[in-house]
Amino acid sequence: MVGPPQTSFGQARRGSRLLGSGRGAVAVSTASTIVVLGALAALFLLAPGSAVVRHTFFNPTDMWKSLIGDPRQGYYSVGEALWLNIRMFLAAEVLILIFALLLAVIRQSDSPVMFPLRLVSTIYVDVFRGVPLILVIFAIGFGVPALNLPFVSSQSAAMYGIAALVLSYSAYVSEVYRAGLNSVHQSQVAAARSLGLSHTSALRHVILPQAVRNIIPPLLNDFISLQKDTALVGILGAIEANKAAEIFSDTVFNYSSYVVAAILFLILTIPLARFTDHLIARDRRRRLAGGIT
Amino acid sequence: MSQAPADPDAVRIEGLRKSFGTNLVLDGIDLSVASHEVICLIGASGSGKSTLLRCINLLEPIDAGRILLWGQDVTQPGIDQNRVRRSVGIVFQAFNLFPHMTVLRNVTLAPVKALGAPRREAEQEARALLERFGLLDKQADYPDRLSGGQQQRVAIVRALAMRPQLMLLDEVTSALDPELVAEVLDVIRELAGSGMTMLIATHEMSFARDIANRVCFLAGGRIVEQGPPAELFTRPQDERTQRFLRRITDAGRL
Amino acid sequence: MRRIMITAVAAGLVTGLAACGSSGSTASSGSSASAAAASCTNAGIQKDLYTKGALTVATDKPAYPPWFQGNNPANGKGYESAVAYAVATQLGFKKSQVKWAYEPFNDSYAPGPKKFDFDINEISVTPPRAQAVTFSSSYYNVQQALVALKGTTIITKHAPADLKKYVFGDQIGTTSLAFINSQIQPTQTPKVYETLNDAKQGLQTHQIAALVADTPTAQYISSSEIKNSVMVGQFPSTGEHYGLLFHKGNPLVGCVDKALDTLNRNGTLAALEKKYLQVYVSVPTIKP
Repeated sequence: MVGPPQTSFGQARRGSRLLGSGRGAVAVSTASTIVVLGALAALFLLAPGSAVVRHTFFNPTDMWKSLIGDPRQGYYSVGEALWLNIRMFLAAEVLILIFALLLAVIRQSDSPVMFPLRLVSTIYVDVFRGVPLILVIFAIGFGVPALNLPFVSSQSAAMYGIAALVLSYSAYVSEVYRAGLNSVHQSQVAAARSLGLSHTSALRHVILPQAVRNIIPPLLNDFISLQKDTALVGILGAIEANKAAEIFSDTVFNYSSYVVAAILFLILTIPLARFTDHLIARDRRRRLAGGIT
Repeated sequence: MSQAPADPDAVRIEGLRKSFGTNLVLDGIDLSVASHEVICLIGASGSGKSTLLRCINLLEPIDAGRILLWGQDVTQPGIDQNRVRRSVGIVFQAFNLFPHMTVLRNVTLAPVKALGAPRREAEQEARALLERFGLLDKQADYPDRLSGGQQQRVAIVRALAMRPQLMLLDEVTSALDPELVAEVLDVIRELAGSGMTMLIATHEMSFARDIANRVCFLAGGRIVEQGPPAELFTRPQDERTQRFLRRITDAGRL
Repeated sequence: MRRIMITAVAAGLVTGLAACGSSGSTASSGSSASAAAASCTNAGIQKDLYTKGALTVATDKPAYPPWFQGNNPANGKGYESAVAYAVATQLGFKKSQVKWAYEPFNDSYAPGPKKFDFDINEISVTPPRAQAVTFSSSYYNVQQALVALKGTTIITKHAPADLKKYVFGDQIGTTSLAFINSQIQPTQTPKVYETLNDAKQGLQTHQIAALVADTPTAQYISSSEIKNSVMVGQFPSTGEHYGLLFHKGNPLVGCVDKALDTLNRNGTLAALEKKYLQVYVSVPTIKP
């Protein structure tokens, strides 16, 4: 026997139970954030070793010297060296986007003709996702010159670095592409094919544009990660920002150059992160057209 | 893909069998459709109407039997499936417009890329079609700005832009709000009136009665009964047909 | 403030040592000298040690020849190993009381207390470095030298104008880079390798025309390690020298300097150089 319908669902309350949602809540959360950050800053400034750490890591004179460099003294400009990182990741990113797409499309294909390629691609992705990037850089950077092949063995350290970055990152990015391809609903494929578009045409005009839009956040995430991993190419002797920082620090016995390098990397990556947010927001509205499935 | 004048049938299906895994969906379909004929497929959900349509335009591979379009067996190996699909237009229940393209581009994409039509020509034709169905002012909009009825009409225009000889309509109004159904049905009516050969899977019984030359009732993967709508709806022979129609009438849909 | 204090103490120590040295090693010439002598006995320095009863000496891995041998600092062979044990003996330690620690070069100058008494690792003394750590006096005066593969152009063409055209390589953290850039001034940026092994690899794979390292290292590479390499020559001295590295303000440096001074004047250092650094082989000097 069902009772009378519930007519009262409790008193309406403004905002959340704990803090509410008015101006008071904003003030409390701001205050507590300040308190926590302030406590961390105090911990840093009042620790017994603070003065030494500040001199060793945050010394303005050394930061400036490392920023502009002085080869006669045995160290290079961290700022100028960053330019090498930038060139490396720009070149690598273009190649990665292309190569990874190729890998993903191969792996997604159905036809039996593609089986050998599919197998090779799967092994490739497994290997290069499994081996740490630093080992790949080492293998390429020291192995290829040792082979003494014409032209191929006489490239600069940066070129080997780019090659290693491309080989390694393409494996990861191809998986991101695959996720993107899978995220496009099968009905889109059906619609495109039923219009008589070939597999390639459908992929190029209908599937890929949608797939890529869906995976822009993880793609840009990988790009930011790539920017930082260019620092590893320093082990081949290329004077990129991190290496320049290390040279300065070993020469002068002060670590402030690393802080400079870190700040420069942040200046590179933070705008890209904001741009990613902007792209996501702008593209959301087009995502859900096409009706129910 | 030209019409073979020797065979008057636009579509001839013989002994079509199709399973999805262990699930037998089509259990021996035999059907002939003459040119300019309008066939309505009715039946409960899961009776195989959608699958049948998707087999005809080769979106699904078949397990047994064959399908002849204008006298040519399109289910034999070696057939260029893309060419077949260019002559057969299909519209889905879920519209499936391409969300990253404008309405105009949705319509012109296949003519340009699959038929090789010059872009300007394709756009002219597209605009003519859009105007014919009252959608010209939407040509620059993206699908997410259109109502369901408008999107479905665009989907029909998109299929028509390929100048198919045969149109397959798969429950094209089932996903629409009732007040938007009429505008789509009007489009289909006009198409039928212009002589297009059509196979229409639908739940809209009164519409089927109006427009069809022949109605086929599917149940359990077979065509249980078929005939002119006047006969099938008023004097169904098979018990299953009678049961189905009674349920429809009770639900007030007939 | 702290820096001024330390400089003052260091200045005081140096003055005291100078007074000691000028009046002979063991003869006392006044209360200050005897007081200084007394505090450098084994008992007197215990309070300054990292671990009481032991002298903890640090170096990097791998420990390269001819500074060490067999990658084992504890065997007493190799110039730096021998010097360390000689200093230990001067400070009254038995051989078994010398403990070796591993300290990567990059960490050796990190601020804060160290896990060793001193670090011996071919570290050149420079004024900026002396602000972060305390150095002993010199235990070896350094000259930079060039190693190249046999049959390469640099073997014959190394006049100052020619030198500028080559790609040089060196190990990070050595003063070789400063030397290359200030003295040789090449047109192409030199390569800086993470480890000496990488630099040697770079030479063997023709990534660099020549490797710049201190003379003993270069000597060892060309005679024993890379068979088809040769030492092109060494450059004139620029006053560079190696010192033992202590944490900033470690008072132990005073007694160590005294020990080094003794070893210098009694010929021990010279004998060790002769034994391990093949100084008797005359090395051609080339101009940068």
